[in-house]
Amino acid sequence: MTEHRQHFQQQLSGLERHALGGLDLVVEQIDRVVESLKHQDVELAQLVIADDDRLDGRYLEVHQGILSLLALQAPVAGDLRLVAALLHVIKHVERMGDQCVNVAKLIPLSGHEPPIDGDILGKIVQMGQFARAEVIQCQRSFAERDVPMAEDLVARDVAINRLNREIFRLALEAGDDADVREWAMIMTMVARAFERIGDNAVDIGEQTAFVVTGLFREFSDSSHVATR
Amino acid sequence: MDPTSSRPAARDRPGVSATPGLPQVLPDVGRRGGAAPATEPIFALTGVQVAYGGVPAVQDVTFELAKNEITAFIGPSGCGKSTLLRCLNRMNDLIPSARVSGTVLYHDQDLYAPDIDPVQVRKRIGMVFQKPNPFPKSIYENIAFGPRVLGMKGDMDEIVETALRKGALWDEVKDRLKTNAFGMSGGQQQRLCIARTMAVEPDVILMDEPCSALDPISTGAIEELMLELKKNYSIVIVTHNMQQAARVSDRTAFYNVDKLEEGKRVGKLVEFAPTEKIFTAPDDKRTEEYVTGKFG
Repeated sequence: MTEHRQHFQQQLSGLERHALGGLDLVVEQIDRVVESLKHQDVELAQLVIADDDRLDGRYLEVHQGILSLLALQAPVAGDLRLVAALLHVIKHVERMGDQCVNVAKLIPLSGHEPPIDGDILGKIVQMGQFARAEVIQCQRSFAERDVPMAEDLVARDVAINRLNREIFRLALEAGDDADVREWAMIMTMVARAFERIGDNAVDIGEQTAFVVTGLFREFSDSSHVATR
Repeated sequence: MDPTSSRPAARDRPGVSATPGLPQVLPDVGRRGGAAPATEPIFALTGVQVAYGGVPAVQDVTFELAKNEITAFIGPSGCGKSTLLRCLNRMNDLIPSARVSGTVLYHDQDLYAPDIDPVQVRKRIGMVFQKPNPFPKSIYENIAFGPRVLGMKGDMDEIVETALRKGALWDEVKDRLKTNAFGMSGGQQQRLCIARTMAVEPDVILMDEPCSALDPISTGAIEELMLELKKNYSIVIVTHNMQQAARVSDRTAFYNVDKLEEGKRVGKLVEFAPTEKIFTAPDDKRTEEYVTGKFG
């Protein structure tokens, strides 16, 4: 391989590491919002909101890097698929960060000492942990070009989706106390944000399969299946 | 392969006629019709090998080329792509040591059959070379030469104008047709060579790195011309410029060099697929490595 091409390959690998490294930042953000939820820690939630700038910055850097590679190196075949996939990956990373911000913004809405329903909170924390595990799994499957591992994300996502529905049901049955009902409604929105992070992880898994096989296919057809 | 079993180039064979009469042998297929489906095969090659002095340069080539398409041949130096291109209009006949074996069918007609006249073959299947090679004559005479030699009937001024228009050159040169062709720019000279090929009304145009000596603007003009010409002609282009192959061709054939024992090397067709596939998701690892620059 020529030196020039080696340099290109290094740039491409560096760009991939930078994009996938964004998922490490997402994991940190998830950890902090889960911690904030457990302890109603409004200050930690503020930190999550402030730190989203790092993810937005990462998005811009990777995006610019991809544009430069396309303009200057004209990647083709497997390289082109990787570049195209990274454009999707970094968008999903940025969206996952936004979901963490959405959760962080909901935390102060229920006040300093909200009437917490332990059952709902337990499931919320579990959802956060599941979402975190999916983020790590999608990162690993992409880095290792492991399609079966990427496809397994669908099975993981089923558990998150189930919890999301359970939380919605529990919120409906939250009783007559207005404060409890308000808190429970806020938790349905938190659950929705974690559920979206799981979907983003599955989408990154789909990009893994695209890079490896050259064919894009949705792992699950959410448009035509009532529940999954 | 045993070189003694190779078929000699037709000019060495008895019975090759120098007289016209090819129209009966090579059907004058409706090249102006344009109604034929794009997938109609124009060439069908089976197990083709070309050897120079008994040493195979390229072997085991089997494929079909479609009508009204641009086919690109890509691959590293020495992979046999130019050799194979020259097979398609019997230019290898001009190299005494060259031997072609296997079957080359052109519109279902064996191009190397004893009764085929290579001059008529080259009239139907024109060629444009890497370096523009106009005759040291006027622009007009460059175009008129071929039709005159072939005894084509009709108004020569009209033939010249039509050919220059097909070569996207008419507007640039119509006021200086009598000036020497060497006074033109490199890009114009190459378009003149394409126009000269057009003048004898070919069916297929073979191009051997037609833009490698040209600047990007002239290259752009030639590429645009190719896309225009493919409506009525079939084009095969050998190019080292992969972006060019990606830009203009419908299908791409990737050839590679196989290293044999004792340092011998032979060209092989590795993958032949729609250009989009070759440059987005090729099937063969060697194609992937070549187009992404990971070879060597």
